[in-house]
Amino acid sequence: MLLNFDRLGAWKWILLAITGLTAAFLILPILFIAALSFGSSQWLIFPPPSWTLRWYADFFADPRWLEAAWTSFRIAAIVTVLSVLIGLVASFGLVRGRFIGKEALRALFLTPMILPVVVLAVALYAFFLRIGLNGTTTGFVIAHLVVALPFSILSITNVLEGFDKSIEDAAVLCGAHPLEAKIRVTLPAISHGLFSAAVFSFLTSWDEVVLAIFMASPTLQTLPVKIWATLRQDLTPVVAAASTLLIIVTIALMLLAALVRKGLKS
Amino acid sequence: MALLTDTSSSAGAVKSRVVRQYNFAQTLPALLLILVFFVLPVLALLLRSVMEPEPGFGNYAELLGTTTYLKIFLNTFIVSALVTVVSLLIGFPVAWALAIMPSRLSTVVFAILILSMWTNLLTRTYAWMVLLQRTGVINKTLMGLGLINEPLPLVNNLIGVTIGMTYIMLPFIILPLYGVIRRIDPAILQAAALCGATRFQALTRILIPLAAPGMVSGALMVFVMSLGYFVTPALLGGTANMMLAELIAQFVQSLVNWGMGGAAALVLLVVTLTLYAIQLRLFGPARIGER
Amino acid sequence: MTEPFLHIEGLRKDYGIVTAVQNINLTVERGEFMTFLGPSGSGKSTTLYILAGFENPTAGDILLDGKSLIATPSHKRNIGMVFQRYTLFPHLSVGENIAFPLKVRRWGKAAIDARVREMLRLVRLEGFEERKPAQMSGGQQQRVALARALAYDPPVLLMDEPLSALDKKLREEIQHEIRRIHQETEVTILYVTHDQEEALRLSDRIAVFSKGVIDQIGTGPELYANPSTRFVAEFIGDSDFVTCKILSMRDGLADLSIGAGAPIAGVPVHGIATAGGTASLMLRPERLTLTRGTAPQAMPSLPAAVLDITFLGSNIHVAASTGSGETLSVRLPFGHPATAGLSRGDTVFLGFDPAGAHVFCG
Repeated sequence: MLLNFDRLGAWKWILLAITGLTAAFLILPILFIAALSFGSSQWLIFPPPSWTLRWYADFFADPRWLEAAWTSFRIAAIVTVLSVLIGLVASFGLVRGRFIGKEALRALFLTPMILPVVVLAVALYAFFLRIGLNGTTTGFVIAHLVVALPFSILSITNVLEGFDKSIEDAAVLCGAHPLEAKIRVTLPAISHGLFSAAVFSFLTSWDEVVLAIFMASPTLQTLPVKIWATLRQDLTPVVAAASTLLIIVTIALMLLAALVRKGLKS
Repeated sequence: MALLTDTSSSAGAVKSRVVRQYNFAQTLPALLLILVFFVLPVLALLLRSVMEPEPGFGNYAELLGTTTYLKIFLNTFIVSALVTVVSLLIGFPVAWALAIMPSRLSTVVFAILILSMWTNLLTRTYAWMVLLQRTGVINKTLMGLGLINEPLPLVNNLIGVTIGMTYIMLPFIILPLYGVIRRIDPAILQAAALCGATRFQALTRILIPLAAPGMVSGALMVFVMSLGYFVTPALLGGTANMMLAELIAQFVQSLVNWGMGGAAALVLLVVTLTLYAIQLRLFGPARIGER
Repeated sequence: MTEPFLHIEGLRKDYGIVTAVQNINLTVERGEFMTFLGPSGSGKSTTLYILAGFENPTAGDILLDGKSLIATPSHKRNIGMVFQRYTLFPHLSVGENIAFPLKVRRWGKAAIDARVREMLRLVRLEGFEERKPAQMSGGQQQRVALARALAYDPPVLLMDEPLSALDKKLREEIQHEIRRIHQETEVTILYVTHDQEEALRLSDRIAVFSKGVIDQIGTGPELYANPSTRFVAEFIGDSDFVTCKILSMRDGLADLSIGAGAPIAGVPVHGIATAGGTASLMLRPERLTLTRGTAPQAMPSLPAAVLDITFLGSNIHVAASTGSGETLSVRLPFGHPATAGLSRGDTVFLGFDPAGAHVFCG
């Protein structure tokens, strides 16, 4: 009875051991970095000889780190708004429309997800060289929007397909203008899909490295680019501090997403 | 917001055609974005591979005729295959355990999987750079245990890339495989036991064959993603172990050779899309993505 | 005295503080068709799962031919089983499914081929050997499952509600098949169902499960004519209950009274009855008589007001309310003279044979 946990006998312990080790393998490096960011050793010796906030102080004292963080946030915020809006409108068309080539269109919208991002990065880099968008916020936003949009469309078409359109029709028959019916009936009903689209879009942009490396200029870079550039020189603990801050943002967003999902369910 | 309105609630031939055009119009902003900033640049890049420095297939001849480049192709293939096999070997028992363990336990493991997946790629790679360095925790532990006398070279080589990439790919194989195993009816395994199959026979003749579609599809996905990976190999593999994505970046950034860059990109693209088409053909749509 | 073929002794299963089954004692003869009948959660499936080795009993023993099965893992018990859900191995063809238990038993190829053909003939699915389970109907899949379970000639075949996913017509067809296969193979069958009609149609004997214990074991007619608990009376056949008062007791027969009516003598009693206590009198709709005008002289009767008259083809169903407000049903053949012109609100007398009724105490 291989699919009954209590009747696996000795195998149960083997499986548990592998799972435990794998979970440790996945979580320990992250905890390790968080711990090192408070360690005093410049050479990242573990366990650290003593504890310090020095690397965080260094991080916050350096305007280049702060600027990079702000740039990341700004770009991610704009990408989130655009990705949800464009994704929402496109999802309505994809789910409700009945035109030739709809499935092909849907597949096309998702292709940026499966294509090696380095190919897109190089291609966009060449294109932006020609039209002068490299090293601009617009360039960053466009590049990130291309890879964030699939997540947005996926999340929203998913909920929209589960939403019974006759509810919206009922609102229209009650006398609501079709637009009003959408805003007051449909959007609230699919709000959890919009929310996950927003979270995915934000994190996609916030964490994106490869496109950002190509889009960046000495005057405009995101936090991942700054980390990348720093890592190419040395393994300074300031990167550990920056990484820990990134992890905290990720955890905060994940918790928020979980809470919202719970709140929407009840 | 005006684009949000439609009137698709009622029929009528003329009206429905209007609605149809309307629905198509709703996809236009997205379509425009994808066409102008995705399809067009990628096609332009590929075009440059046969146009620069002069029209023809010279770039491809050089790419496929130079030992250095062929070594990089081979290396990319070996690393991706190694990562896929290791991920599968670890991922299958973990997915299996997750599918049947009490939900108290599995919730914890899932939280770890998701957290790991969403932690910044650079952060995770950085962690392994620190862990695997000569004076890193792993070497010190092994030396402390008396297993080795000299620090092992763990970064800037195949070991480092494989560990780092496996670390990143594991969730991508565990999660879909978990779904596949979860859908297998436990009564089928009970039936196998009553038929007289030992645990081992039930595993090799029933459970693994039933999970095989998930394993093949997960493995294909991990393999495809690994082929195009850039950041982790660049930081953990070192120059001796360059992979295809780095080669493309190097052609463009350091060598400013757009023709060769485009040619290498086309090779990666063709391999990726072929494998993805196989996957689609075999198992239907699946979600794939590098962040 | 010969040893019983299958003997279950004091079986008990606890899940934490919840007791799923307890005090299960049962003897099954070789070749017998024994059904576990009961509602869901009554413990019938748990008992079957313990027999299959999917669950360990908290206490008790199972003896097959005098040897305990408890320590034997499922795959060595040599027991066949057909499950409620379709459990054919989806990646194997019909023939490979039937061959699976033989392959793990290391049979030779020729022997396996011959056996697979023989089993396909038994379940009347010749020519389906190459099909995949997904290409077959539910009924066909369960027949293949039956063939797979019988292929290795197990001494005991367990069937856990194998027909519950099928529609009524198909169910009856396969019930017929199961009876035939039982007769042809003479295998001992333990069959779990919640469907009394299915139990009555198939079984030699029925064990009625309720709340984790066996209430009664017997043949269908025995359970119908002589239910030992109120639960069995309710589960086998239709029944209604009227509150009564015990006047006196002797030899398992009670004298009782209902409301202010005349005493009724000689009703069989089940349970611990005390004179002066209240009890339930069980009456079966098809064994009640209905008269109008005056009460029948030959038998005791209850006055009642007609609530509803339903025409059910060959039968007419009359629901009537007694003086104390309890509802009784009477089933009469179509065209029965007493039903002519009967209408709601009419007063009727419902007569019964005291020896055929039952009183349940407690």
